[in-house]
Amino acid sequence: MRRRNFIKGALVGISWPQAETLFKSVRFQQKGGNAVSDAPRKRLRELGIQIGTLEPGPCNAITDVDGVKVGHTTIVKGDGSQAVRTGVTVIFPHSGNIYEEEVFASSFILNGWGEMTGMARLEQTGKLETPIFLTGTYNVGIVYDAAVRYLSGINPEMGISDKMLTPVVAECFDEFLSDARSRAISKEDVFQAIMNAQGGSVEEGGVGGGTGMTAFGFKGGIGTSSRKVDGQYIVGVLVMANTGSRDQLRIDGIPVGKEITDSHSKTGKTKSIILIAATDAPLLPYQLRKVSKRVALGLAQTGSISHTESGDIILAFSTANRILRKKAGPFHNLKAINDFWITPVYQATVEATQEAILNALTSAQTMTGRDGNTAYGLPLGQVKAIIRKFKRIRE
Amino acid sequence: MNNGKEIIGRMKHRMGKFSPGKKNSITDIQGVRVGHLTVNKDVLDPSGQSVTVRTGATAVIPYPAEREMRIFTGSFILCGKGEVTGYQVADDFCYLNSPIVLTNSFSVGKAYNAILSYGFDLGREETWPPFIIGLDDSFLSDMKKSTLDEEQILSALREASKELVEEGSVGIGLGLRAFGWKGGIGTSSRVITMGNEQFTCGVLVATNNGNPRQTKNTGSDGDPTTYPDDSLIIVGGVDVPLVPYQLKLIAKRLVLSESCLHRAENYSSSVVCILFSTANPMSMENQGPRVFDMQVMDDKLLEKIIQAGTEAVLEAIIRSLLKAAPVQGKSGRVLKTIPDDEIGKLLRE
Repeated sequence: MRRRNFIKGALVGISWPQAETLFKSVRFQQKGGNAVSDAPRKRLRELGIQIGTLEPGPCNAITDVDGVKVGHTTIVKGDGSQAVRTGVTVIFPHSGNIYEEEVFASSFILNGWGEMTGMARLEQTGKLETPIFLTGTYNVGIVYDAAVRYLSGINPEMGISDKMLTPVVAECFDEFLSDARSRAISKEDVFQAIMNAQGGSVEEGGVGGGTGMTAFGFKGGIGTSSRKVDGQYIVGVLVMANTGSRDQLRIDGIPVGKEITDSHSKTGKTKSIILIAATDAPLLPYQLRKVSKRVALGLAQTGSISHTESGDIILAFSTANRILRKKAGPFHNLKAINDFWITPVYQATVEATQEAILNALTSAQTMTGRDGNTAYGLPLGQVKAIIRKFKRIRE
Repeated sequence: MNNGKEIIGRMKHRMGKFSPGKKNSITDIQGVRVGHLTVNKDVLDPSGQSVTVRTGATAVIPYPAEREMRIFTGSFILCGKGEVTGYQVADDFCYLNSPIVLTNSFSVGKAYNAILSYGFDLGREETWPPFIIGLDDSFLSDMKKSTLDEEQILSALREASKELVEEGSVGIGLGLRAFGWKGGIGTSSRVITMGNEQFTCGVLVATNNGNPRQTKNTGSDGDPTTYPDDSLIIVGGVDVPLVPYQLKLIAKRLVLSESCLHRAENYSSSVVCILFSTANPMSMENQGPRVFDMQVMDDKLLEKIIQAGTEAVLEAIIRSLLKAAPVQGKSGRVLKTIPDDEIGKLLRE
């Protein structure tokens, strides 16, 4: 259902060749994507499981932060050794031109076995000046190139008489399900994701950059969640989950992974997770760094131990202060939350992170990919039964 | 006596683009005060051994200390060697809520206690965490037996004034050694004009760094080149409205500005820089508004502040050397004031 909305949404305002590309990818998706039948997927909350105590925003998604938009391109084609299960997800921090209006940002690298481009500049300037792209490891160069083309296209002076940008492109390794070495993504795919970007509900699971990802021994991918803070602010988190082993998986504190009894769970090594937090609370970069660290706490609550070969990279941004590039005069009038009132933002961050990761698992469908490798969707019936057994179900 | 003015005049291309403030001192920033306590004595310890005490404390009070508030800070440590207390809050929460005290490494605990007492005495809820930087002055001083007491640190804090800052072998500067010559305290400031407004950037340095090989000064006791380098401390302040990432960026640059006095072999010095902005004071814990409105300078103007700050750091380092009167310390060691031509070498004129 959600997928159909996605296609409809994507067709608005794009040319026919682009639409054709999109149809092609959808056709491939139907042919190769859902090789194994699977129970209908749900979000964690639809299973009756609530994380924490704070209330989610209207879409329970990063897009609840006003202006934040998310777009996916999903590429599913071929079988056997040439199976491609990859894609790209783009997050726009606000609806204006981010080149002209920067927002404050910071990061935290829990485990540096991964790539997030643009970090040197982001940490130096304390600002996010580009959309954020999430993709497969070997696609980074192509996505980066497309991002530069896109940004220089809408900002003609970029790199000529005005500042150059370093786009933020982050990756996880999707080689279990996809022929990653083929780098079967094109700049058109990236432009497509940009065009698909919209507010409202976000498609989750094996879509966009999350297409080929696996997590906690199951099919992983994109997940998102949000929390309201004091009825005033929103914190939203979006993850691309490709980390964790099955034994570690915990849902709301319950060791669900250890209790699942079915035998198919091999999804290769644990890899990485990229976590993006957005808020409309007025935070300065040093405060966003502290929020980034709380994102890591949310990750820990899903049972992840940040494996040696897991690139666990976190970026947080605040949309409250817009730094105008062409500001006349030397000063900006900004707002900053009082450090001693920031704790509710931390709580929202930890809760939303945990739920976003779990949403990626509950939303992702079983997928068969490269060399017949299959990543199974988290068995929702079993999960429910296990949580009920632990008397933690809310009905 | 050296002619500091002449040397600084000669170096105008490197430290004279911006004009100094009225006092050419960190106290040119509104509200900033500096106090020294100097202890220069030879005493006998209980076992009858003579103890050479060449130490002290230097306090920088960045804002009227009785006021319950905090200010933004940015810090950078290149190769940390000594103690820096209060650093976790300064680095993570990026604020300063305490005077800054420079003293010898063995007096850090006493200084910690003294800053807390100082705050309580002023009626503050707390001045925590105290920001203390420990320096190793053991080349001239019997540091292990020269622990200052709380009263002595308190007197440096209480006597802090906004007047002209005494420089050279004073306060913690008494026992310091830099480039094989007498080191000490130096200060300088620069005025920065932005639009119709004037701002001040001021620094205070304690020079206890620099390898003697650089100036070929062998000193009087064996081969002082084998004596370990310690640290250069830079305490800087601005009244420009800056937020932490900007202050940290400038702090890094100020640390770098010192490197032009170094040669490649001089690898072991540590540099500690703490920079604060008095422009956006904030209320303390659970007080004040949930959200602060603040004016913040545009990043494009950072370069100007970095230039001005770099000039001030260079001049403060030179002044700390030029103003440092010779001191005789333990084991008959003497550190002399750096001669003018050696300054030239140091600056690689």
